[in-house]
Amino acid sequence: MSEKNLPVIDEYRAIGRREVLRQWVPPVIAGVALAGLGLGVSGRPGRHQPPSAEALPRPRDWRIDPEAEGQIVTACGRGPTTNLHQALAALGGIEAFVKPGERVAIKPNCAWDRKAEQAANTDPELIGELARLCLGAGAASVTVVDNSCHDPRRAFTRSGIEAAARDAGASIEHQRSTGTVRLNLGGSILGPWKVLRPIAEADRVINVPIVKHHSLSRATLGMKNWFGAVVGRRPNLHQRIAQVCAELGVAFRPTLTVIDATRILTGGGPTGGSLALVRPTDCVAVATDPVAADAWGASLLDLAPDDLPHIAIAARLGLGTADWESVRVET
Amino acid sequence: MTRLRPRARHFRILVQAGFLLAFVPLFWGLAEPRVPGAAASILLALDPLTAIGTALSDWSIARWTWIGLVVLALTTVLGRFFCGWICPLGTLQQLVSWVAGPERRKLPKINRYRRWFAIKYIVLTVLLVWAALGANHLGWLDPIPLLHRAFAAGIRPLWHGGASPGGWISFGLLAAILLLSAMIPRFFCRALCPLGALLGVFARLAPLRIRRDPGGSCTSCTLCVFACQGADEPLDKHRVSECHVCLNCIGPCAEESLHYGIAGAGNLLPTPSLDVGRRRFLLAVASSAVFSPVLRATGGGIYSRTHDAIRPPGALDEEAFLSRCITCGACSASCPTGVILSDFGKTGIEGLFTPILDMRRGWCEPSCIRCGEVCPTDALAILDPDTKQAIGGPAEVRIGTAFIDRGRCLPWGMETPCIVCEEMCPTSPKAVWLETVEIIRRDGKPVTLQRPNVEPEICTGCGLCENRCPVGEQAAIRVSSVGESRDLRNQMMQRKLKVSAKQV
Repeated sequence: MSEKNLPVIDEYRAIGRREVLRQWVPPVIAGVALAGLGLGVSGRPGRHQPPSAEALPRPRDWRIDPEAEGQIVTACGRGPTTNLHQALAALGGIEAFVKPGERVAIKPNCAWDRKAEQAANTDPELIGELARLCLGAGAASVTVVDNSCHDPRRAFTRSGIEAAARDAGASIEHQRSTGTVRLNLGGSILGPWKVLRPIAEADRVINVPIVKHHSLSRATLGMKNWFGAVVGRRPNLHQRIAQVCAELGVAFRPTLTVIDATRILTGGGPTGGSLALVRPTDCVAVATDPVAADAWGASLLDLAPDDLPHIAIAARLGLGTADWESVRVET
Repeated sequence: MTRLRPRARHFRILVQAGFLLAFVPLFWGLAEPRVPGAAASILLALDPLTAIGTALSDWSIARWTWIGLVVLALTTVLGRFFCGWICPLGTLQQLVSWVAGPERRKLPKINRYRRWFAIKYIVLTVLLVWAALGANHLGWLDPIPLLHRAFAAGIRPLWHGGASPGGWISFGLLAAILLLSAMIPRFFCRALCPLGALLGVFARLAPLRIRRDPGGSCTSCTLCVFACQGADEPLDKHRVSECHVCLNCIGPCAEESLHYGIAGAGNLLPTPSLDVGRRRFLLAVASSAVFSPVLRATGGGIYSRTHDAIRPPGALDEEAFLSRCITCGACSASCPTGVILSDFGKTGIEGLFTPILDMRRGWCEPSCIRCGEVCPTDALAILDPDTKQAIGGPAEVRIGTAFIDRGRCLPWGMETPCIVCEEMCPTSPKAVWLETVEIIRRDGKPVTLQRPNVEPEICTGCGLCENRCPVGEQAAIRVSSVGESRDLRNQMMQRKLKVSAKQV
């Protein structure tokens, strides 16, 4: 091969730094963005291990005195605000439970896209007043928090709970607005579950369910209300619901259980809808015994403690007594 | 005539940035019930093809979409200002080609006009003919619906159960458009955009255009085409139909002889005709007209009643719905539960990208009427929330009926207690009701089961039961479209219906 037949090499063009940047930076950015998008959709590569329950912390115990015997006070007939004041006064006032500087989480039942008068959600006036009292006692913050079954923004707005909480100076959070903390609930069915962050990190937690009919557990009350504290595959929890409710009661030990019976839902629960299903009872109970609280709530629906299997399990697990009248404090 | 200074270009950039940035709060506003629906979908109404599409296919101009006709009228005066100043997809492409586009020295060559840029006129012709024959598919390529859909159906579902094919295709289309603009600036606007084509045709009438001063000279230095967005070449002649009125040519002109203003006899640059021959145009009209019924026969139109194609509440009867839906995805973006997807495959080519509900991702919230509020074309009517809640009696508006799959249902098929569908059912009385039975299980133990049943007269098809059913992947209770109130023929129960004149 003679030299003449060699291919002619074009002159080498000096490429400046700027040109290199210009050529390479955009495709690199685009590539990283694409890979990031793919990772975001498909998840991390590598070996995935289910979280072990042992390594996770348990929910805190929010009771004032775990050794003390639980009590229950009921107050009726004067509207939610006065009923609450009266019942709390018999237990030493909110100051006995909420100390200055504490972060308080209030857990209403705010599950449904329903108005207050339909009695599917906790009464907003009661939530507002409770938040006001906690802040008055010096709480650093009060958060009203629930994992709603319907769209949470609509549930909080239409129930009136958002407005009542904001008026009182409390904030609201729900599964769309806040994160979760993975905790070990420590039961035979309930292992590692995601718990709404404001509840997991609170210094005091007040459980404020409403008394409602429920077709499987007969009534939905305080322990069933903890369904709204956890995030995950909740529908599966209904197959052994009594055991699950009791285990939730073991995992979550609230400072107070406030049962809202301003109006109760006697049928079509837990969603209700028709006003014909609502019965005005105008009562509030404040309890440090969650089992007594549920037993009292059940009595309003003409149910004996034995009608609700979770009450017996919870009593056996040492959470309190089903004989609520024995631990009742007179107002 | 006042002379526009190069400043005008900077003003244009500000306006463009304003509309691009406005897209973000407007898109967010679709899902925010406190923002009026018409305000959140204002960009879609500003798009002239929205009104023209429904006018051709449905003989209606819905809600606020007439303001698009104002834009069209202004185009006959100002030229394609919508493309250069307003269209967020145009701005995005411009941004991409500015950041990652061709080298500056290559731009004079790249920004020259090419004959195949006339493809967009064929695209427009085909889509308009289809619309006139009742198949409104303008939204497939119309930039404003395309941009909305790419985010509403492509990105937002990632937070509601993962990507969906219809969404990925829409987002992929957007990504392809942006990537192509890195090779040829505004490739989509120049070669494919049906809206650009429409505005281009009307811009030919505009008295205001790029003109050359009387006596102004041109040395063919091509400085004017360096940043030209439309590839309209304001050299010896000027393609007004391609000009985006970006005004990038005015400042650089070495002879300072280019201006934007009323062009008269003395300063009018000759305007070449559109590169679409009469024969080609007629061929496009004829072939799309022939092809249109075939498209509709792929699953749309009157034969579209498939069990799993559930339309949002307030959807018109299927034919009217399809003739109005511009597949913008505003309903998907507005849905608080993310239940509305862009269809791919379930309703054929006719229903490509139209909204359908996937109850495993979300459900239809009882008191929510947001999708109807934001629909720019009235394909989804604005409802009274009370008409879809079924409190105290059957609802006027229903989207389907739930059916129990007894083989998969825990109490029916697995001897296991479960009442979640009944618990979740939001109607009052509940459409899902329980029958209690005591059975002896396989292991010999007695168990009391509550087995769910559906009362079809009450069920609204909201899908919360299907969404919450603990049986994974395919739920044991599923919503079918049968019983939907919008379609008198897709029924199983005899019931008294409120019949509108249109449906009869």
